[in-house]
Amino acid sequence: MATELLARPTETKAERKRRGVTERQRPLWLLTPGGILMVLVILIPLALALWISFIDLDQYTLRRWVEAPFIGLANYSEAFGSGLLRSIWISVSFSVLSTAATVPIGIAAALVTQNKYRGRGLVRAVFLIPYVLPSFVVGTVWKTMLQPDGIVNSLLGQHNTLWLSGGRSYWTLILVEIWAAWPFIYLMSLAALQSVDHEVHEASAVDGVTWWPKLTKVILPYLRGPVLLACLLATLNHINNFTLPFVLFGAPAPDNVNVMPMLVYVTSFQGLRFGLSAAMAVVSLIVILIPLFIYLRAVKLDVHEEGGRR
Amino acid sequence: MRTQKIMAVAGATVLAAALAACGGGDGGGSGGGGKTLDVLIGANTQYPEQFAAWQKTISDKFKAQTGATVKFEQFATANDELTKIQTSVVSGTGPDVYAVGTTQTPTAYSTGAFVKMSADDWTKIGGKDTFNPATLGISGPDDNNQVGIPWVSRPFVMAYNTDLLKAAGIDKPATTWDELTQQAKKLTHGDQYGMAIAYKDNYDPWKFVWGMSVQAGNPLVDGKTAKLQDPTVSKAYQTYFGWMTTDKVVDPAAVGWTNPQAVAAFAKGKTGYLLLTTATSANSLNQGAVKGKWAYTLLPTVPPGATSRPAGGVEAASILSGDNLLVADYSKNKDLAFQYVKLVTDPDVQLDYYKQFGSLPANASALQSLASDPTLAAVTEAAKKSVATPFTGAWSDIQLALTNVAVQSLPDLAKGSLSPAQIDARIATAQKTAQSSLDRAK
Repeated sequence: MATELLARPTETKAERKRRGVTERQRPLWLLTPGGILMVLVILIPLALALWISFIDLDQYTLRRWVEAPFIGLANYSEAFGSGLLRSIWISVSFSVLSTAATVPIGIAAALVTQNKYRGRGLVRAVFLIPYVLPSFVVGTVWKTMLQPDGIVNSLLGQHNTLWLSGGRSYWTLILVEIWAAWPFIYLMSLAALQSVDHEVHEASAVDGVTWWPKLTKVILPYLRGPVLLACLLATLNHINNFTLPFVLFGAPAPDNVNVMPMLVYVTSFQGLRFGLSAAMAVVSLIVILIPLFIYLRAVKLDVHEEGGRR
Repeated sequence: MRTQKIMAVAGATVLAAALAACGGGDGGGSGGGGKTLDVLIGANTQYPEQFAAWQKTISDKFKAQTGATVKFEQFATANDELTKIQTSVVSGTGPDVYAVGTTQTPTAYSTGAFVKMSADDWTKIGGKDTFNPATLGISGPDDNNQVGIPWVSRPFVMAYNTDLLKAAGIDKPATTWDELTQQAKKLTHGDQYGMAIAYKDNYDPWKFVWGMSVQAGNPLVDGKTAKLQDPTVSKAYQTYFGWMTTDKVVDPAAVGWTNPQAVAAFAKGKTGYLLLTTATSANSLNQGAVKGKWAYTLLPTVPPGATSRPAGGVEAASILSGDNLLVADYSKNKDLAFQYVKLVTDPDVQLDYYKQFGSLPANASALQSLASDPTLAAVTEAAKKSVATPFTGAWSDIQLALTNVAVQSLPDLAKGSLSPAQIDARIATAQKTAQSSLDRAK
């Protein structure tokens, strides 16, 4: 974002070089408040976290944390030895599965509310309910419903199926996450559908295309960019979701749902190993950067493509 | 261009204001007229209005005595408080007085950020002997290094259904774990169960395991050595899980229960014993079908598999539970802080607090005056027979590791089969965590 803003004015200014340095640099100066904020809010804490991940910071050294012993990569090796890889696997698989499941639901919901009909506004509003509910509320309600003697088990006619412990807890987490997160894909798809030019619909009507080829060959290609963006954002949201697993399962969590944010939380605030948890957080950040990087590459291509099409 | 300039200035102003606000946080210190004492205290979700009124009363009394005002800050969970302690410790500013749970006190102590009570300091608050001696058990690692001043006790007891026990021909509640199991079997038939246990609670399970082990002579921590991989611990877990899997004296739904759910189940009047609760549950029980048909009693103090306590076994009726008051080392109002402590540990104030919130006085004479109340006899006795959990900064990790054994065992528990080998494998993991945490302890 910042580079984009920066690039445009300098390019236009380049023609009027004689105006002098100050004017050309003015946009840069105007960016300083934002820049300072970025440094204060993002860069300094990030650097601190990196530093903490290299020192032996715990309850015993916290008081004089500046003097906490530097232990290099010891925190990292301990992190990998204490279940971090497993947590990464759980987190990544959980996020990818959740995203994969929400995309068809979201697109289908968007298509359902695309054409005008009586009560469409109501349907659209209802679709947004899971999205506007706070994660804490979603977690608490599902937790209540999924009790061994809760409403879900009695509806299924089963007794004492454990949803919140053991192997099934992983699928519970995915299920609840899907329930809470699909409206995001829906919103993004709906926005994309709305931006499809009227002429496209007219042209397909003139050509006498039936609904299925129209959907797959004409409409869905329009959704590709926005839905890819939605996928990326959704996956990142899933990976970073702490509230839902914490409310559903509590700490200590069952091993099957010990996702990265839970592991970092327990290490930090129950085990009081700040150095170790900072190392875990840094590794998490790297894991998250991978899809982000792929996306940023993809976006460049997309912009080019769209530009070419128009 | 002009609008951009204005925006820039506005942005900078907002930024500066935000920074100023950040810096101005925990000033506390001194007010204009009198000083202000900052007290961090756990929020009372059960009686929030009474608690606010209590704070007002204390604040008024304190103002009348010292001319200074008390500012109460509340935290929602023990973890919130730990976070607050951490930030205060790093920045060297924050509350002057902390109300810290007993099991968190060793962790707080290990940060070294609290006043170690000198003889002089104890005198300022009325002397060490004004307190129930048992409550001092978790004030510090030894008598000369105490940071925690006992404030209130919440000893753990059992509740039992007097009618159901009578109907089953049981004339008095069990005093050994084996006897408890036998009675629970007698009490279980039809839709009626012998015990209510919160298997999924994140704080309950380790208390059973610790209690049974200590009674069998294993305090779990011996200096710098964790002793979780021990027959006493295995036996404790086997007994605890066995009530569900082999004895079948617990509602199968209990695998999903937290403590309030177990209390609610017992309150329906279809359960013989509620295994772990405190005097604060009295109100909930009196609102249920069990009203007038229940009583508190001590948890068994003879370990499972025995008819009397073995040599070295400790008569631990409960963990030493409740809140301590800790004065921050960085506080500039230490004398005021001690005056506050003196005020809230005064017998009358303590009794009033008990009547409103159900937490027992740490003050010895106030506690004694409650012993004559028949419904409370068991609870006051439990307060005297409470035993401190090991005083080490590693305790929170050990507690978590013990709980984790239960958390990971729940699926097997639901299936109804949990072999000793499975339990021992999980205990081995807990032992590893506990030992590595003890190795780090300073």
